[in-house]
Amino acid sequence: MNSGITSIKLVLLGEAAVGKSSIVLRFVSNDFTENKEPTIGAAFLTQRVNIGEQTVKFEIWDTAGQERFASLAPMYYRNAQAALVVYDITKPQSFIKARHWVKELHEQASKGIIIALVGNKVDIVSSGGERKVAREEAEKLAEEEGLLFFETSAKTGENVNEVFLGIGEKIPLGRPDEQSGLQNGGVRITDDQRIDLASTGSGAVAASGCNC
Amino acid sequence: MSFFESLRQKAPFLDRIAENFTPAITRDEKFKLEYKLPADENILDDTNADLSFVSAFGKLKELQKVKNTNEQAMAYVYSGKLFLTPHYLLFRDSFDHSSCIMVVNLSAVKRVERATSTAYAFSLLVTLYSGSQIVIQFIGLRYRSEQFCAQMKLRLKDNVPNAKELPEFLASCYSEFLLRKNLLRIKDITVPPAGLGQLYKYPGNPTVAKEKAKLRLWFNYFKEHGANIGIVKNHEFQKLIRIGVPNRLRSEIWELCCGSIYLRQAHRGEYERILKDNEGKSSQAVEEIEKDLKRSLPEYSAYQKEEGIQRLRNVLTAYSWKNPDVGYCQAMNIVVAGLLIYMTEEQAFWCLSNICDIYVPGYYSKTMYGTLLDQKVFEAFVKEKMPVLWEHIVKYDIQMSVVSLPWFLSLFFTSMPLEYAFRIMDIFFLYGSKTLFQVSLAILKVNGDDLLEVEDDGMFIAILKNYFHTLSDSAHPDSSDIKYRQITKFQELLVTAFKEFNVITESIVAQERNRFQKSIFQDIETFVKRTQLRHMPKTFNLSQEQLSNIYDIFYQSIESHKISMGTGSSNMEFEIFIQFLSKFCDWSKPSETDNDPSFRKQKRGFLKRLFKKWDSSRIGELTLYDVVSGLDKLITQDLLESINFFFSLYDEDDDNELLREEVLQISEGLLFLTEPWKTGRYVDELTKKSIENGIAESIVKENGSAITVEQISLPSGVTVDEEKYKSEQTERYLEAASNFLQRSFEYAKPLELSEEINLIDLSDDEDTDSGTKQKNYEAMMANAALDPTHPKVLDLATFRMIILADETYELFFTSTFRNSIHVDEQVDPSEGKEKALRNMFDGIIADGKRVAEEVRRRVDSVATKGSIASSESNSQTLNGSSTTSGTSHISASKDDRMDDVDDFTTEHPNEQEELLSTSWIEMDSAPDPSTNQNRTLRAISAETSSDQKDLIEFETN
Ligand SMILES: Nc1nc2c(ncn2[C@@H]2O[C@H](COP(=O)(O)OP(=O)(O)OP(=O)(O)O)[C@@H](O)[C@H]2O)c(=O)[nH]1
Ligand SMILES: [Mg+2]
Repeated sequence: MNSGITSIKLVLLGEAAVGKSSIVLRFVSNDFTENKEPTIGAAFLTQRVNIGEQTVKFEIWDTAGQERFASLAPMYYRNAQAALVVYDITKPQSFIKARHWVKELHEQASKGIIIALVGNKVDIVSSGGERKVAREEAEKLAEEEGLLFFETSAKTGENVNEVFLGIGEKIPLGRPDEQSGLQNGGVRITDDQRIDLASTGSGAVAASGCNC
Repeated sequence: MSFFESLRQKAPFLDRIAENFTPAITRDEKFKLEYKLPADENILDDTNADLSFVSAFGKLKELQKVKNTNEQAMAYVYSGKLFLTPHYLLFRDSFDHSSCIMVVNLSAVKRVERATSTAYAFSLLVTLYSGSQIVIQFIGLRYRSEQFCAQMKLRLKDNVPNAKELPEFLASCYSEFLLRKNLLRIKDITVPPAGLGQLYKYPGNPTVAKEKAKLRLWFNYFKEHGANIGIVKNHEFQKLIRIGVPNRLRSEIWELCCGSIYLRQAHRGEYERILKDNEGKSSQAVEEIEKDLKRSLPEYSAYQKEEGIQRLRNVLTAYSWKNPDVGYCQAMNIVVAGLLIYMTEEQAFWCLSNICDIYVPGYYSKTMYGTLLDQKVFEAFVKEKMPVLWEHIVKYDIQMSVVSLPWFLSLFFTSMPLEYAFRIMDIFFLYGSKTLFQVSLAILKVNGDDLLEVEDDGMFIAILKNYFHTLSDSAHPDSSDIKYRQITKFQELLVTAFKEFNVITESIVAQERNRFQKSIFQDIETFVKRTQLRHMPKTFNLSQEQLSNIYDIFYQSIESHKISMGTGSSNMEFEIFIQFLSKFCDWSKPSETDNDPSFRKQKRGFLKRLFKKWDSSRIGELTLYDVVSGLDKLITQDLLESINFFFSLYDEDDDNELLREEVLQISEGLLFLTEPWKTGRYVDELTKKSIENGIAESIVKENGSAITVEQISLPSGVTVDEEKYKSEQTERYLEAASNFLQRSFEYAKPLELSEEINLIDLSDDEDTDSGTKQKNYEAMMANAALDPTHPKVLDLATFRMIILADETYELFFTSTFRNSIHVDEQVDPSEGKEKALRNMFDGIIADGKRVAEEVRRRVDSVATKGSIASSESNSQTLNGSSTTSGTSHISASKDDRMDDVDDFTTEHPNEQEELLSTSWIEMDSAPDPSTNQNRTLRAISAETSSDQKDLIEFETN
């Protein structure tokens, strides 16, 4: 019924090695690599999913996590409609960093930005490792700051697609006639002529099963 | 507006960065940079000379041996300049500065003698450890040549100890191994240690035949022109590198090109020592490194094994200890992983050091300013060289940096197949960072047509990704010409990079960096400041603007310290803390009283306590966070809180009680804090009030009660009896101090059931002059201090009562103290001398309003003689106006200096960089010796007459 494709510009932020790139890789290619090279500067990938009757194209900006790369981040969260702030549930420091990112996004990013707080690497806990960031603590932050909250594992795929679906549902997926009225946080409709090179499996998220 | 301005204010540490970028470098610096000599190799002397290098194994020597006649051998002679530094003898031809570059470490010199030469010319024959000989014919005044020789002799003597260590060092050089094995036919020489590639294969599966062929080329080169620390580099040297360096020799050629071989020789053992000294230590860098070890070139098998990972860990951590200002930056792991395939740990360590310092300065720094800057420079080049593509990129809002930033930051290692990245490294080490720009531009150029088709980031990235994966394919697969078909995309890339973009020279790069540096620094400053302020503690008394101001003062203070100390920590040590406070706290500003040792002691005593109190992490240093939370408390509006805080500085065990000794110290602290008012440098509210009353009184007296407030214009020439008010104030403060001490001991509670307190009788004589008061005070101090047998304690409640009982001290904690901390005061970024002290009455005279009000009060209530204005409203008025006048005063002076800060217009002369030959491998037409004008074939005598032994200038045994 809707011929347009909705694009969502999404940025991933979070401390080094928390698994940002792995989450993206899982979402885009349903894959996982044990030793992924750190992201130098930033990476860009896209993925299309069907949410309800809408096709949503995620334009994903995956950033480098180390503190000193932080000055590059504004370049990538500029105009972003959504952000994933990722931390590692076994690394308390990464949660502190996540708080900082949330604060910065609220201060600097587009007004209506949808932020999801993502605690990654839950598989470590499931397999006997020690959790260092309590779920409640993260839920509290999400509550206070108005964030979506998920705990995921890029390794097993647990909850990864849900994060993006959650974001997709939160963004006002306007019908074309509503578009003009949307300001910040709105979605832009692009014509369907764009070729989606980056996403290998063109399948919708609903189709790509979780292999845990 | 002021917020905007404060945003624009510079964070001082960035200015320091700016200094590093100033292109106005000295001749010495330029020289060292050009020849990649270590930082301490300044030019001691230089002279014009003709030089020829006669290799021990070269054709020339062979000829001599075979013929064994008196026939004179021939050698090429180059004219140029000879330089002497503490450890090097360096020659540069004057033809094109690359036909003959000789770099010889003095420890490699075995003997120097005067050669037989023509009557007027002065020649030296220098023999190296290898047997190779250098004939130097000096040009110019004889006495200058003699001077040069004398100087060289001295340096050679100094280098004798280094010469002893030479064999061990040479054993680590593969070139030496090649020569010995093949020329001297020495059996059982140990093979020098190698990189991981020797065990885990070199990338790209090179064929043995090809490697061998390449090695032989180099072997021949070394034979003829020397090697490692005694070598002549010429056009052929460059050409051999462009052909591609054989794997086994790569480490040494890289070292030689980037100069890290000189560091490694000069600092033998240092790498091991750093590792040993820091074994088991932890740091943020070490933690960050640990996270990335398994994430460095994971596709190379050695980095999935402990051996490779351990080497990587060692080099990265050692560097983070050596250079804590950089520590560790992601991408360094990838670069070092690349180096370690060819180099030993020690080689990689020194090579990394020169990469960071010389090749890509600022890339891996904490702010990554070099990276940001070079991206900007790169964009400018794209815009200039490929305007159509640039327009397209802008039109579709494509973030080019996503692809280009990794090219620069990880030196292509993450972008293209390793074997090609290493080829680019070869050239990078030879020619410097311009290589990165040339190759990057070529990548865009080669893919230009395809890139013009794309309309979003995804496709832009995909095209380049695909390109990198097909670099080994033919660049012209459809060509009918086989030769043409055989050219790979990689070869095509190199040709484009170094032919088409050879206009990008090092000096143009430097020029462009210089052009954008200011705006990049400003962006970073704004960003860093915003980030830091965002993470400040919640403040109750400090406004956002004041925070921003404190931020500026804080970093300005540390900066002035660092310039002399050379540290990069953003924490504040005690001595800096003193300077910091002195910039905006009246009681901490330098004054004449500082000359008084006992005052100095008081001052340091108080400041030390304050420092300790604020040092939340107990590391003996303050962070900005500490300072902000500390100041926020210090300027509290709450009188009791203010008194409590002061008390707590002295109550170290937090039991709300001070012992005798502490009471003495707290009184010293008060003396110190109140000194500016006691000496009359500043006036407090009480004095102001009485001055105003005085003026009002006289106005009313002159004009009678007929005057209306509107008529009052404060007579500009009004004379205030400064001395009178000053001494009144001094009196008041002395009395307060004296009262304080007396009351403290009076009201202190005995710690034990004790007898009567044995203080000397202190008559509270109304008429005593200040001299007597001072004496009384001292007597009391002495008395109390001398009587440790009667321990007494002063508790907080009593202390408060004593303070509140004294008008001056009460006022002090109510407002005088708070108002003396000028957190609003913008600090002069250029930090001049201490401003001339303002006339203490300036503020009052400048603003007649309060006086006018006083007059009005008097006129209004003529009946009431000594009008008692509500002290509250009065003091508020005073506060308000004094702030206003203060601010205007300061902003004026600030504007003046802002001009200076922004003044980056001074142009620096562009370094005139030699234009490199445009040749590139196949197209390279190395100068044909026969047509070459830059050298002459001349008969030289490489022999010395044996009867001139006494003329030997230098010889090692
Ligand atoms: N056990 C486990 N490991 C994970 C998970 N996600 C990522 N990792 C691992 O954590 C490491 C870092 O993952 P990346 O995805 O590269 O992390 P990043 O956040 O992109 O890191 P930077 O690019 O440096 O900022 C890799 O070795 C991953 O294999 C997860 O869900 N579970
Ligand atoms: Mg990443």
